[in-house]
Amino acid sequence: MSGHILWQDRAIAFRAGESVASALLRAGVIAFGQAPTGQARAVFCGIGQCQNCLVQVDGRLAEACLTPCRTGMHILPETGACDV
Amino acid sequence: MSDAPVLVIGAGLAGLAAAVELARAGLPVLVADQAQTPGGAVHRQPLPGVRSIASPVQRRRWAGLMADVQAQGTRITLSMGTAFGGVDHTGAVLLTGAGARLFRPRALIVATGARERVQPRPGWTLPGVETAGSLQTRLKTLAEAPEGRVLLAGSGPLLLALGAELARLGRPPVAIVEAGRPLSHPIAALGLPMSYLREGAEYLLRLKLAGVPILAGSHLAAIRAEGGALVADIDTPKGRRSLTVDRIALHDGIASNDIGLPDCPALPVLRAGDCREALGARAALADGRAQGAALAARLLGQPQPAPAPEVARQRAAQALVARLHAHDGASRLAALPGDTVICRCEARTVNDLRALGPDPTDRQLRLDGRFSMGPCQGRFCAEWTARLAAPDTPKPRLGAPRWPARPIAIADLLATPDETQGDPA
Repeated sequence: MSGHILWQDRAIAFRAGESVASALLRAGVIAFGQAPTGQARAVFCGIGQCQNCLVQVDGRLAEACLTPCRTGMHILPETGACDV
Repeated sequence: MSDAPVLVIGAGLAGLAAAVELARAGLPVLVADQAQTPGGAVHRQPLPGVRSIASPVQRRRWAGLMADVQAQGTRITLSMGTAFGGVDHTGAVLLTGAGARLFRPRALIVATGARERVQPRPGWTLPGVETAGSLQTRLKTLAEAPEGRVLLAGSGPLLLALGAELARLGRPPVAIVEAGRPLSHPIAALGLPMSYLREGAEYLLRLKLAGVPILAGSHLAAIRAEGGALVADIDTPKGRRSLTVDRIALHDGIASNDIGLPDCPALPVLRAGDCREALGARAALADGRAQGAALAARLLGQPQPAPAPEVARQRAAQALVARLHAHDGASRLAALPGDTVICRCEARTVNDLRALGPDPTDRQLRLDGRFSMGPCQGRFCAEWTARLAAPDTPKPRLGAPRWPARPIAIADLLATPDETQGDPA
């Protein structure tokens, strides 16, 4: 199943089984926002070890590289104050 | 509880090979992996409908292992999209994600593979800079190379493999910056197993045909963001040069991904594959089988099987590969500018480390310095922090096991079915 996710207000196409990180990178989105420390959020290890690619996925903090895309999923940069 | 499954963390070569041996001995096995499909890093599978870029040798190895898994039927359960949260002193294991549960397995095999070593440099935290393994994962899943200029830098055979794959996909890298001089020791290289030589020759030929320069004995000293691109300052034997690129993939070898992972007195815990000793795919398969068979024998009260000779062979081959790539890069750590980030998670710098004074204790490094205390658990900084803090102590002193083994949302914790109620703790 392919489809679209939303990165902020932009629709991004994804392929069946693709991770959020992969879809964003293919669309030219390299910077995923900023951590509370001021460090840039971006893909680094790509396999769920480093936590550098954290984003908000439908309001919850998750690793973009481990999260499979689902149609309608809304991705936002981390704000430092989300999640439970 | 003898009907509880053995839990294997990691559905790569080592984890699945161990699972097969346990199942062959009649034991039920649950394999959990945080990825969506089995394969681990080495055998990362293409997305549905995408062709595989794996070599015929790699494809045969994986297909053979998956056939062995399938032959065990319901004795092996794969739980994908499921992360290991940790094991407590009673032997209760927390899994989160698709297969969330809190339960007591009969035993634990940790097969979480390798982590990439990436030496800190100014600019290594910029977007567009990632590990070579990260970029390679996308090549494997998408069978396409990213657009734009790509630079590969660091040290190790993965740089050549990745460069050759990029070339094969029609977008060769701008250059490969290799700190060692692996091509300057042809006589010593002949001591490598034939499969290594064949693989290496294929990579070099493909890179040569694509005209990819290999800058040996060179170091990527610093990365700057400039005008929407990345500028790489490279120290070569002939002096400093700069390359402007769009993406940079870094790699300084692999190490066991066992940081922060526990032992538990309440149940048998074994490590298998790269997680036990980082020797690459060939050894991971053999070691997974050996550890699986060893655990099965232990649980069933049978004599221990003989150790796998393949692991010793691969240890010798990997030691030679390391000697061929040997370089003085580690000494460059001491010369890093003070504002270079060491701990990526909490943005702790060389200056922050120096501020702790001479020969800081583990406690000072962790509690005062906050090194290796972030969500990556020190996977990417502990080695460098330890070396910078105590250059003469070779063994990293950071990265002790912690609960949980990875960040877990409280909502996930609350939603996890607790199957340990009523169990004897």
